[in-house]
Amino acid sequence: MTTGRSLRIGESVLGLCVLGLGLFIALQTFRMKVAPIHAAVGPRLFPYLIGAGLIVLGILVLREAWFGRIAHAEGVELDWPPVGIIAAGLVLQMLLLERLGWILAGGLLFMVVARAFGSPRVHLDAALGLVLAGLIFVLFNYGLDLRLPAGILAPLLAPAG
Amino acid sequence: METLAALGHGFAVALTPYNLLWALVGVTVGTAVGVLPGIGPALTVALLLPVTYNLDPTAAFIMFGGIYYGAMYGSSTTSILLNTPGESGSIVTAIDGHAMARQGRGAQALATAAIGSFIAGTIATIALTFVAPAMVRLALLFGPAEYFALMVLALTTVTAVLGNSLVRGLSSLFLGLALGLVGIDLQTGQARFTLGIPELLDGIDTVIVAVGLFAVGETLYVAARSRYETEELYALRGSIWLSREDWARSWKPWLRGTALGFPIGALPAGGTEIPTFLSYLLEKRLSKRPEEFGKGAIEAVAGPEAANNASVAGTMAPLLALGLPTSATAAIMLAAFQQYGLQPGPLLFESNPGLVWGLIASLYIGNALLLVLNLPLVGLWVRLLTIPKPWLYAGILLFATMGAYTLNNNVFDLILLWVIGLIGFGMRVLEVPVAPCIVGLILGPLAEQQFRRALAISQGDPSVFVTHPLALLLFAIAAVLLLTPAVLRYRQRRLAS
Repeated sequence: MTTGRSLRIGESVLGLCVLGLGLFIALQTFRMKVAPIHAAVGPRLFPYLIGAGLIVLGILVLREAWFGRIAHAEGVELDWPPVGIIAAGLVLQMLLLERLGWILAGGLLFMVVARAFGSPRVHLDAALGLVLAGLIFVLFNYGLDLRLPAGILAPLLAPAG
Repeated sequence: METLAALGHGFAVALTPYNLLWALVGVTVGTAVGVLPGIGPALTVALLLPVTYNLDPTAAFIMFGGIYYGAMYGSSTTSILLNTPGESGSIVTAIDGHAMARQGRGAQALATAAIGSFIAGTIATIALTFVAPAMVRLALLFGPAEYFALMVLALTTVTAVLGNSLVRGLSSLFLGLALGLVGIDLQTGQARFTLGIPELLDGIDTVIVAVGLFAVGETLYVAARSRYETEELYALRGSIWLSREDWARSWKPWLRGTALGFPIGALPAGGTEIPTFLSYLLEKRLSKRPEEFGKGAIEAVAGPEAANNASVAGTMAPLLALGLPTSATAAIMLAAFQQYGLQPGPLLFESNPGLVWGLIASLYIGNALLLVLNLPLVGLWVRLLTIPKPWLYAGILLFATMGAYTLNNNVFDLILLWVIGLIGFGMRVLEVPVAPCIVGLILGPLAEQQFRRALAISQGDPSVFVTHPLALLLFAIAAVLLLTPAVLRYRQRRLAS
């Protein structure tokens, strides 16, 4: 159960992020080395405006978080383990994609996400994921002119023509 | 007359077997993603961008238009049978549509939605045919100052009308504007906010942001909530035909929904939600049986479903004539134009009439195809709803990572996708609307260009933005839209105390 209190903390984090992003943009813009040009408006005006907007909005979100109306005022149930599993699955795919190749890394991602959603049939999920990733691979690398990495399966797969 | 000749030429383009095939692909895919929860037209078009890179642009846009129309048809099925809106434009439909399904009148609800969508889509496409050239003539009067003002207005309305907190909407918008800053400045070649990462020199791709927010963020949110949501699918029973009474109660809401949907879609007022809500309220006000609303009134399905289709046709007008997206899907379609090196606007009507009018003509054809797909064949689409949730979302993420990777064949884009996906999850939990972020990302850099061009023409005199009457008017409308809710709330509070 995520209560109003932790949601207010969440809102505060949002406010701090927006504020931080604004300060970061303003600072980076200030430090930007700009070649002297004759244009009326250089590349720094818009970043300054957007940075200033974010700073003001960050403060307003923080105000709303502590004194105003927040989202899901009645609280909202969030189940965190599946979120963690899916996020980890995506990281795993990033690390493995170019080593193992699209088919294996994609099949693995499919299995992990299905598991996170509570699917009980791990082997069936894995098989389905491999078939789906394999179909995408064939369609992309042979049908369309796009390249998904073959990885360690490269010796088994005919080079795209 | 000139318009009709152009439209005739458009039909000649759209009716070639090749383009007809892509229209059919578009409406079929559109209906499917409309039916499936968790995947919508904006995400689908974004995922297809890398795939269509080598496709003829006319065929690609015919397909995208079909997807956009089809999604509005398909989403009503999910709203009615599952009580989960397939798209945000069908939230209202779920109220009475699902009540009808519980009473065994699901087939009638689907029929009034499909026929209403067809009538609204056809009338609104006719309106688009004549409004788009008129908008082009208006656009010819526009200089950079007016374009900048128009973009500010579009950004304001997309933000002000979505969600229930202006501050949150603006935060989303400014996040999008900030992401749009990344990359090389087009006027001076200055690298901005690239943090020394060479992959960021070209900027952050709209596809990554859209897929991250809509696919990854949404999947994480559904995963977090899936234990607590129960869904009940109602089977279709009996005749799908509407009774004489159903027809009598449906036809006026269809027309009124169309009348609301098209203009609201065409004015930069953003999205399909507003006209559907307005249509629901209007039908309730006008009904002789307002007590039935919420318990399965057919008017409450007919009106909003007509409104959402009409508004989709409406959003095509400013997109084609001004290059101005007023919804997330339209924003992605603008990104598609950029991918092909095309700039929507008056020049496109001159230089590429085959594409513009072929697209408009194919919308007529697509609408007719959709009526066939969604009325006699609705049973097939209902089967899509029986795909187990784990496989549906696993598949969505598989396609999402494929779309992100194939943009540049680069793992860096997957890292970016992951980060933006987590941000999207946070936004979803805290009810920060994501559409302003997408529209801001794509319109921000364009607005900056117009702003600087305007000042270059005026030799640095910022008064151009107030001395041009059209620009001043547009700014004034934007200010009113932004300030009205705040003023109303202030007055309410004063009255309350």
